[in-house]
Amino acid sequence: MIQVRDIRKSFDGQPVLKGINLDIPDNATAVILGPSGQGKTVFIKTLVRLIHPDSGSIHYDGEDILRMHAKEWQHFQNNIAFVFQNSALFDFLDVQENLNLFLQMHKSMTARQCQQEVARAINFVGLDEDVLDKFPEELSGGMRKRVAIARAMIKRPKYIFYDEPTTGLDQNNAEKVSELINMLKHEISATSIIVTHDIKLMRDVSDQVALLREGTISFVGGKDEISAQTLDFLYETRGEYDI
Amino acid sequence: MAKKQSEQFFMRLGDRTISFFTTVYEIAVLLVQSIRAVPSVWFYRRQLLEQLYHFSVKTLPIAAVIAVFIGLGATVQGTYQSSELLARYVIVNVIFKTTIIELCPIVLSLVLAGKLGASLAAEIGSMKISEQIEALETMSLDPVGFLVLPRMIAGLLMLPVITIFANFLALFSSFFMSVVVTDWISPQEFVSGLEMDFKPFEMYFGNWIKPAVYGFIIALVGSHFGLKTTGGAKGVGNASTNAVVVSAVFIVIFDYYLGKLLL
Ligand SMILES: Nc1ncnc2c1ncn2[C@@H]1O[C@H](COP(=O)(O)OP(=O)(O)OP(=O)(O)O)[C@@H](O)[C@H]1O
Ligand SMILES: [Mg+2]
Repeated sequence: MIQVRDIRKSFDGQPVLKGINLDIPDNATAVILGPSGQGKTVFIKTLVRLIHPDSGSIHYDGEDILRMHAKEWQHFQNNIAFVFQNSALFDFLDVQENLNLFLQMHKSMTARQCQQEVARAINFVGLDEDVLDKFPEELSGGMRKRVAIARAMIKRPKYIFYDEPTTGLDQNNAEKVSELINMLKHEISATSIIVTHDIKLMRDVSDQVALLREGTISFVGGKDEISAQTLDFLYETRGEYDI
Repeated sequence: MAKKQSEQFFMRLGDRTISFFTTVYEIAVLLVQSIRAVPSVWFYRRQLLEQLYHFSVKTLPIAAVIAVFIGLGATVQGTYQSSELLARYVIVNVIFKTTIIELCPIVLSLVLAGKLGASLAAEIGSMKISEQIEALETMSLDPVGFLVLPRMIAGLLMLPVITIFANFLALFSSFFMSVVVTDWISPQEFVSGLEMDFKPFEMYFGNWIKPAVYGFIIALVGSHFGLKTTGGAKGVGNASTNAVVVSAVFIVIFDYYLGKLLL
């Protein structure tokens, strides 16, 4: 269970997050939906301490991560994986090494075991094993996103965070990614937290939806409770969404 | 009008001064963070090995070219300035010492500030803007331990190695120029020029202490500007320009103060 209480964050006096409250139950897929530029990336990064909020608290199963010491946090981080908006694969490493890095640095596994894990992850995300020798710049955007998901799953995290997992992908790839998010949730039984502006993705994967607009959460509920009016309000449109 | 302009000038001067001292402060903070990361150097040994390779093997060709021509240039200049009032081996001695202790270390470091400093600032900077630094953090890897510390150690260890190599080449090319090509001095006299007033400490100083300090500066300053990168491709460009300029300034300032230590 993740409990977020009154998170605030400003950049140069400009408030971006204006007191966010949110509960995310275990093993749920929570989608935080909001239009571009409303602070989705800032919010999801505060949840994993990549950005430090000005005030507020974030508890994971009752533990306040903002008050953890660096060492404790480093240890706790093994429960967490993050899929970045632009994949953030290490461009000086090939795909194999990208996937291997965490195992190599943190797990006492033999090279053979690592290789098996890597092969398993790459198959899971539906890529051929011959991409393993390629460098990130040689992959398409969709492939990169899948490698990023594979890299996240290799940690076997309890919590997995996705920042705009479908942005910049064509419909086909976007659907594959939604599918992967669902499959991965069952495979490693993790809690998934997704920020996106993609309504289709929200419909495909979410158990719980929160709407983020102008730095606050205006609605929390199941995906069926969201009305066309709410979406129109969120995206400042008129009757574009039929539910 | 004139007053306004001068006001503006002083305000800009003030801003620059403040930002210079902020940079110095932030570099000092990074230094402390890196020292704190030293106990985990074994954990990051693979990264260290890569950087040792990067800082040495890849820089040797350019170092060789520079060293040979520093040797030739210094010798030509020395022989041209020589007069009948001084024994030629004394001039060889002057050429030898200025080359080994001053010229080679500083010219090499300035060139490598351009080559290594710019590339490592750009490398780290593009990782910064593409969220790769944050990706390291989410994998429980410390960006300072993973990226900065290996580069600092590589700078500290490898610049002396390169400089020793370069100094040998410079000495050899100097010998070649003055003895073989121009027949300006005999081999025996050349050697007695080298032996004159020989102080081993000066050799350690020029070959080891100075380049180690400069290598350290190049890596530290380059990493700092890399980690501070914001914005897109332009930000990366700024980071590498700043890295080169600031490390070059630091190098010449340190060169002066290190030189004073010898007196
Ligand atoms: N490091 C920063 N410094 C200053 N302002 C920032 C910083 N990071 C984010 N912002 C500001 O915070 C606001 C929200 O940014 P954020 O990246 O969270 O938007 P987003 O909802 O993720 O948008 P998108 O859907 O385009 O990714 C923007 O106005 C941005 O200018
Ligand atoms: Mg974003």
